[in-house]
Amino acid sequence: MSFVPGLGIAKGMALTMRRFFAPKATIQYPETAPDIAVRFRGRLQLLYDELGNVKCETCFQCAMACPVECIDMGGFDTIGRFHVHWGAAEQYAERREKSALRKSGRPVPDPAYTHFDAIDTAPIDAILEKYDWDQAQMLAILAAIQDVYGYLPVAALKKVSQVSGAPYALIYGRATYYSHLRFEKPDHTVAVCRCTACLMAGASRIARSLGGALGTEIGQPPAGGVALEQLPAHIPGAASPLVTLDGTPQPRLTATAAAALGRTLAGGPVA
Amino acid sequence: MSFAVRTWDGMSSRARLLAIFIPAAIVAAVVTVLAIVLLGPPFLDFLGANMPLVRFVVAAVAILLLTVPTAFVLIYLELKVIARMNLRVGPNRIGPWGAAMSVIHGLKVLSKEDFAPTGTDVTVFTLAPVVTYMASVMSLLVIPFAPGLFGQDFNIGLLFFFSMGGLTVVGLLMAGWSSFNKYSLLGGLRSAAQIISYEIPLTLSVVGVIILAGSMSMNRIVLAQSGSVLDWFVFKQPLAALIFFIAATAEANRTPFDMTEADSEIVAGFATEYSGMRFGFFFFAEYVNVFIVSALTATIFFGGWTAPFNWPWAYNLNWFHPLSIGILGWVLIVANVVLIGTVLFAIAARLIGGREWGLWDAMGLGFLFLLVAVAGLVGTAGFIAFDWVAGLVWFMAKTYFFVITFVWMRATLPRVRVDQLMGFAWKWLLPASLLNLFVTAAAVIITTPGGAR
Repeated sequence: MSFVPGLGIAKGMALTMRRFFAPKATIQYPETAPDIAVRFRGRLQLLYDELGNVKCETCFQCAMACPVECIDMGGFDTIGRFHVHWGAAEQYAERREKSALRKSGRPVPDPAYTHFDAIDTAPIDAILEKYDWDQAQMLAILAAIQDVYGYLPVAALKKVSQVSGAPYALIYGRATYYSHLRFEKPDHTVAVCRCTACLMAGASRIARSLGGALGTEIGQPPAGGVALEQLPAHIPGAASPLVTLDGTPQPRLTATAAAALGRTLAGGPVA
Repeated sequence: MSFAVRTWDGMSSRARLLAIFIPAAIVAAVVTVLAIVLLGPPFLDFLGANMPLVRFVVAAVAILLLTVPTAFVLIYLELKVIARMNLRVGPNRIGPWGAAMSVIHGLKVLSKEDFAPTGTDVTVFTLAPVVTYMASVMSLLVIPFAPGLFGQDFNIGLLFFFSMGGLTVVGLLMAGWSSFNKYSLLGGLRSAAQIISYEIPLTLSVVGVIILAGSMSMNRIVLAQSGSVLDWFVFKQPLAALIFFIAATAEANRTPFDMTEADSEIVAGFATEYSGMRFGFFFFAEYVNVFIVSALTATIFFGGWTAPFNWPWAYNLNWFHPLSIGILGWVLIVANVVLIGTVLFAIAARLIGGREWGLWDAMGLGFLFLLVAVAGLVGTAGFIAFDWVAGLVWFMAKTYFFVITFVWMRATLPRVRVDQLMGFAWKWLLPASLLNLFVTAAAVIITTPGGAR
């Protein structure tokens, strides 16, 4: 159809005129109450994305923002392995559970802390003192904690939050953001030295084949309980290329042997 | 201490008020009576001797007073109609169906601080809304509402109207200039450019009508269209009517040409620095302009107060003429109909509705119902008896049709860009109106026997 001047205007005017006589969308609130269940308090459910995964990342921002601190969150972190918790333990369900326990005469566990292994927090105090409890130094603090424990225990993050005053959600968010921070103690740590001598001897090739076999990379989170790292310094007297397994220097590896080692550690078939 | 002072001290405040008010009222009444007796006859003589002047003053005051309810009605219409077109309900809390909404708006604007920012030229700043408003009111003077019901019948009525429309620009420029604000100045200049540009096709489109009617007097133009629907100038000058309507939309600063004070934009054009009643005057003027432009469209192209068809039965009522029973007869009929009708309605409501209806509820509803019915009755009688009532009804019906069209357009059309706005005026409307003028003049020359002089 060719262009007719004014046709669009006519169509628009017709639309508005139809709307003039159409039923109205307004609900006259005080007179007409919407049909809502008596105890409805808004949408108390977590939403799912199109793949069926829960959209909640357990970031605790809602719990932090809640002015009356009524939001109590427990859940798994984004990787889906660790229980995280926000808020006082004594929420309604837990309180009821606890009173039932008391009546039963059995010992009462603290549900907020049973999920973590107890750790020795003395190193954390030292680290925080070194950084003057400064929240702006959080990345360095977390890195230092990971150096001490080999990973970031959730109890340690809680301790940092309590002592330094930084919100737990911020610490947790930062810890999950940087890929070199991890929450899990790896079963094995494979470290590749990348000093000049080792690089000359093919350390890069070895790191690549190890990473391919393990399904991870240097600087990435562990895979299958095995972490791949870079040795901070060459061990004096060790032969290049130097690869350590849990701190023990391995005999000289070729790329093929490194891949075989990686597959062994990852639990796959040994080629 | 004298007796008077002691008495005054002993009185309560209410007693003091009464002690002042009662003697003052007596004195005022005596003075009024004396003034009427002594000064009344010469004053009436003076008025009688200057009848045209008196008529003009009364008409001007009446039109000035007319603008306020007109603006209120238009604002309410706009709120309500646009709301319905947006699938909303619109104002519905204040007054019946929210009808008092715009009045409350007006009171709110009145109660606000009359504020002039630092650096403004206060005199010009204050005068600008007055000039704009008065220009609108003056334009209303020449519009014939009904036969015999107009402010003044100039023989140059249309010319007067367009000159008053031009005065609006002065008000806007004054507002923009005196605000001491570059955005206001730009907005004022922008609106001046728009209004002046659209004034040209507006005026040129009407020239064809003037040629056909042979006069610039509004009454003559209306009379030239009397007869049937086919005598309306919209059928003789369709292009002119279209151009006039578009240009009038821009003149009245209505969507889609409301660049002047585009209310969805951050800076409100020439009105940026205005607040309170000065701002209110600008917006009163805008709505009065909408009314004027609609009235003018109805007058020039749609027959004004003439009926679209003849009423053979209305004016040939030989068996009954409403005035034959006299004023007293009407008063008696109206009073009795209302009273008896109210009681009858209440009884019927009680009989049908039973205990659901409180007696006073039924009486009140019946009274309202009967009031409306009697108003309709009296209006119908007036419609039949007086041709000015019929003319006013037709005129208002046509005018409000165009008012609602303006509102309808505002609910529908998006705002045009400034350059498109100006380009449309100069590249399309102006040539089209010139073409219309040329064709009209040629047709008149050809069809006039012996050629036009």
